[in-house]
Amino acid sequence: MRRRAGESFMIGDGIEIEVLEVSGSRVKLGIVAPEMCLIVRKEAKITRETNLTAARAVDQAAITSLLSRLAR
Amino acid sequence: MLRLQTTYFGELDYSESSVYRFPNGLPGFENEQAFVFLRQPHTEPLMFMQSLANPKLCFILLPILVADAQYQVQLDPEYAGELKLAANCRLRIGEDILCAAILSPGHEDMPEPTVNLMAPVVVNLKERIGMQVIQTNSPYSHRHPLFGPQELVPCS
Repeated sequence: MRRRAGESFMIGDGIEIEVLEVSGSRVKLGIVAPEMCLIVRKEAKITRETNLTAARAVDQAAITSLLSRLAR
Repeated sequence: MLRLQTTYFGELDYSESSVYRFPNGLPGFENEQAFVFLRQPHTEPLMFMQSLANPKLCFILLPILVADAQYQVQLDPEYAGELKLAANCRLRIGEDILCAAILSPGHEDMPEPTVNLMAPVVVNLKERIGMQVIQTNSPYSHRHPLFGPQELVPCS
């Protein structure tokens, strides 16, 4: 699909994405979606998941094991 | 002195001047807005970022230059503003800012420990304000292996 500024497209019935502005390599998008759809940048979602995993995996044994491997 | 309960380090004494504010928390932990950093000689080079509110929440951090000596942090003007840092000035890691990667110790799905170089924790040391800087188009991985691949010894 190719779209120009001012044109939009739909995902399903409820989500509309409009290309608002294109300048150089940056694109500004407008998104209309149901309230239950959380819209976040992909890297923010990845960071959230990585943080949750990192915090969950901390325990005394993990810390001891890391220190002994780092000392090698 | 104030006293803090922690799961991994027992009771700690700390002063208000060693508290770092994260006004937006961290992604996934938006309500955790105050942390202390722990560094001890016997745990070098690791650092620990302990939540003030939650004894169980402690991130293991690795100074970014230990993870990658050539590391370059990109600080967009928006992030610099939130951290009260002058945009476009050369920031000295360790002097103006603390910059460290959150370490994920190994777990069942991924046994080897990794560090998140895509989204380092950056702290303005003078103002004691911190945030996790999520870099866009980053050349760095969010799951950078902490230890290089094991060298394979060919069978002879």
